[in-house]
Amino acid sequence: MTKELLRFHTVTKTFVSGQSQLVILEDLDFVLYSGTSVAITGKSGSGKSTLLNIAGGLDKPSAGSVSFLGRELGALNDKDLSAFRNRHIGFVFQSHILLDDFTALENVCVPALIRGARQADAVKRAKELLDRVGLSDRLQHRPQKLSGGERQRVAICRALVNAPDLIIADEPTGSLDEESSSGIETLLTDIVREEGKTLLMVTHDTQLASRCSTVYLLHNRTLQEME
Amino acid sequence: MTMRFSMWLSGRLLVPKGESKYARLRLVRSAALIAIVMIPLVLALIFMDGMMNGITDKYILLQDGHIQLHVEDPLFDSQYDVSAIDPRLESADYVVSGYGIVYSRDTTAEVRIKGVDISYFNENRMTQLEFTGEPLKKEGSLAAVMLSTTIAQKLGVEVGQRVAFMVVPDSSSSVVRPVLANVTALYDSGYHELDSSLLFMNRDDAMRYFPKDRNAYTELLVSRDHVDDLGAIVATLESAMDKNFPYATWDEFNGTVYQNFITSRQVILLVFMMILLVAGVYVSSIAQEMIQDSMQSIALFKTLGATNSNLSWAYFCSVMVVTSIGLVAGVSLGLLIGSQIGVLLHWLGNSGLAGLQYYLLDFRIVISWRDILAISFSMLVISSVTVRLSLGRIRRISPLEMLQQD
Repeated sequence: MTKELLRFHTVTKTFVSGQSQLVILEDLDFVLYSGTSVAITGKSGSGKSTLLNIAGGLDKPSAGSVSFLGRELGALNDKDLSAFRNRHIGFVFQSHILLDDFTALENVCVPALIRGARQADAVKRAKELLDRVGLSDRLQHRPQKLSGGERQRVAICRALVNAPDLIIADEPTGSLDEESSSGIETLLTDIVREEGKTLLMVTHDTQLASRCSTVYLLHNRTLQEME
Repeated sequence: MTMRFSMWLSGRLLVPKGESKYARLRLVRSAALIAIVMIPLVLALIFMDGMMNGITDKYILLQDGHIQLHVEDPLFDSQYDVSAIDPRLESADYVVSGYGIVYSRDTTAEVRIKGVDISYFNENRMTQLEFTGEPLKKEGSLAAVMLSTTIAQKLGVEVGQRVAFMVVPDSSSSVVRPVLANVTALYDSGYHELDSSLLFMNRDDAMRYFPKDRNAYTELLVSRDHVDDLGAIVATLESAMDKNFPYATWDEFNGTVYQNFITSRQVILLVFMMILLVAGVYVSSIAQEMIQDSMQSIALFKTLGATNSNLSWAYFCSVMVVTSIGLVAGVSLGLLIGSQIGVLLHWLGNSGLAGLQYYLLDFRIVISWRDILAISFSMLVISSVTVRLSLGRIRRISPLEMLQQD
């Protein structure tokens, strides 16, 4: 039986700018089960990234609650929230966001080192992952020496290095050309499936969305499951 | 979360790789600037302590001794080994002292006349003097005097020439008349202020010229390690000789000079602290600059699970390591230059810097390790406080700031 991993309970998110108030998400209910892959699509500005930020503990809802493995994220202090992100969430962003002064290997090692792993263990795990995505010959390359597709593969490895429960991907192929996108789509969905992880992804790419077990449309501040 | 990540990140911040040429230069520049602040502080401390000790030594060894036992007659003959009574004692000399005016053909000089035996110029005192001629060598019936080169230059006289002098009596009933004296030697103690007023005379002659108003006493020198035991040393003497002596110690008859030194030292240390405060503010600006340049990296580290504490420690350790490197380099260079300060002062003296006549150009280097450690420790404490304040910026960086580049 699949386990409930993430639950949004009547989540509302509003942004206040001066006198005006912008409601992004309203009374949103959503459950994500372990081992599944979910894609969220929607127009630009519909609140997809905001939803992912709240799911990943990077942002807080204005109302409602979010729980992860039964634990309410709103009850966690900064330190516990940091530990939660480190241990349970792997992030993949649209433009990879790597540390420019660090090598590919070091970028992948960072979450493991933050977790407290010994450097040798972190390096070993990072090398395994980079080897798996075909970057074993790029370990000492810095991001600016890598192509867009290679950088995104490094970002995927970084997301997986701590073996988190949930991979959150925000437009992972958004800044890549068609050929690279295809490779990343396959890699991301395959590696998440092989590792038995849960994937929550925002994408405009219908082909990538179709690889997921469930697809939602974020429309009018709520989620609608698509057939 | 462990300190392992903080230490790893700190190491990476200290040894930036790849394209971070600016980051490397910034670290080197920061350490260099801290060193540049520390060099003059250490140098000033060495100069101040060496100068104060040097001048104090001149006054003690040539003018007043450590202890003056005010007893009219000699307590010991000049060959007596006074350390047999108390090993802390180095010498005891019977001295006659008074004031006078010296005349040459063209001008006059007011002087303190000190009547001493030739044995007064023992090994200890000879370290403070350079002679020309034969000190206090008696020839004929004229008094033998030894002038300083400063007084001799003022009077325009040389060794072998004669001067007239007249004692200044304490009592108005005394008859005052000028007498002639042979200049048998010139001395130079290296301290203009002392030399400009001190004249040595053969003691027997001084006793003759100050018959009633003479100030006679036994001048004691003690070993350098026991200058704080003067009262106890007198007590030992009194006990050994079964007498009570009226006595005075050097800091009493040079009270103003002594107090000036103490006050100057305290003021200078206070100025040092102000400089360290400014340096501390500079160190905090290094931290601010490092944080400002890594805002997105910090936001990303936070996204990946680093806590404020992890990041603060990493930046704190990096800045403090840079500060410590600058500190050690500055103190080392300050000590190195300080050990050559005599050469520097002579060079400045030869270049005609007028103000240097009031300073010693040659003195024993004194390194006050306690003060250097206190300054270094203060620098670290002030820097650690200012850096910790700067690191509050890390707390205000949100992980979401990282997405602004997305």
